[in-house]
Amino acid sequence: MATETNQETGKLEFFLDVPFPSSGEATVALRSLSPDREPRRGGISKRLSVSGSTLSVRWSADEARVLRVSVNSFLDHLSLVVETMELFGPPVDL
Amino acid sequence: MTVVIGFEGSANKIGIGIIRDGEVLSNPRRTYITPPGQGFMPSDTARHHRAVILTVLKEALEQAGLKPADIDCVAYTKGPGMGAPLVTVALVARTVAQLWGKPLLGVNHCIGHIEMGRLITQANNPTVLYVSGGNTQVIAYLERRYRIFGETIDIAVGNCLDRFARVIKISNDPSPGYNIEQMAKKGSRYVELPYTVKGMDVSFSGILSFIEEAANKMLSSGQCTAEDLCFSLQETVFAMLVEITERAMAHCGSQEVLIVGGVGCNLRLQEMMGVMCKERGAKLFATDERFCIDNGAMIAQAGWEMFRSGYVTELEDSWITQRYRTDEVEVTWRD
Repeated sequence: MATETNQETGKLEFFLDVPFPSSGEATVALRSLSPDREPRRGGISKRLSVSGSTLSVRWSADEARVLRVSVNSFLDHLSLVVETMELFGPPVDL
Repeated sequence: MTVVIGFEGSANKIGIGIIRDGEVLSNPRRTYITPPGQGFMPSDTARHHRAVILTVLKEALEQAGLKPADIDCVAYTKGPGMGAPLVTVALVARTVAQLWGKPLLGVNHCIGHIEMGRLITQANNPTVLYVSGGNTQVIAYLERRYRIFGETIDIAVGNCLDRFARVIKISNDPSPGYNIEQMAKKGSRYVELPYTVKGMDVSFSGILSFIEEAANKMLSSGQCTAEDLCFSLQETVFAMLVEITERAMAHCGSQEVLIVGGVGCNLRLQEMMGVMCKERGAKLFATDERFCIDNGAMIAQAGWEMFRSGYVTELEDSWITQRYRTDEVEVTWRD
């Protein structure tokens, strides 16, 4: 995890990398966590991606307060997805 | 044979239900109840749902005696409702759909109520009164859409009742509306309140302001009891609902009424609607609290109909939405 201010855009940026046991499971998490839009609040955007078996999230925000809310919210959601995967996983092979 | 699991959590109830070809195999539910005088806030509600949802999911499977492999489709509430709770539930639905390799289906909450009402009561083609804490609509099916014939122009009738319950600080257990209903039975004095029907529509926020002020003035001066106000509020708002339902029935030439939604549990509302129906030679249908109040099986049932008529929701399109009109969905499963 890291927070920085992008010198060019002046926006705050936050990076989060979450390791998963496999790329399949990282992808399950990605597809569960990406559909919902940020609640109507300008000045925040996030992007999710999977590389290998790591889920990466990149935030860009105007204000620290807005960034904090979004990151906290995401971590709650992530922990729910992970707990669901622990209880009902692993993914079936199709 | 088609088995659908449905996830519902758009307000303060979290329910997961499983339906197999019109049979409810399981329908466990938990309700987030706040102290008297307080309503439920989105983030607290989401936190409640998050804490219990996986337990409720296990219960749903165990009580149905099924394994994930037995499920054909995972249905969940896409909207309308409160954002944070909707997301919490959608996250679990999306995750298990992927883990189990099953198709996902986003369901409109209002249509969930309608389809459950139709299944349980076997009403043929009723005029539907959908009344809850979050919604108040008069709906009739016409040419592949559930058309909204009349609705509230401000707050839902259940919201009016719930907020009045907060003013007089009655318990929210099991629900504020239930406790208002019990108190109303002991009311004897009718206090005149504004009656606001506007054509096919209704309005409740003026009545709420009026009764909140009346409660403060009249209760402290002893002009009436809280029971009298509960009684008067019910008589007024329910009469308004009966009027707009009747107007829609006359418009459609309908001989059936189906009441769905949490406020539909109210026996006084059912009684008043029954009187109107009898006068018109029409039939009244209603369900009990298992299915009136938000539950997972109703989402499973709507999902069952939608899935069998070819609907599926891709994961990228499975975002939740707080606003979702009943007539936005093409009802491909009816002619």
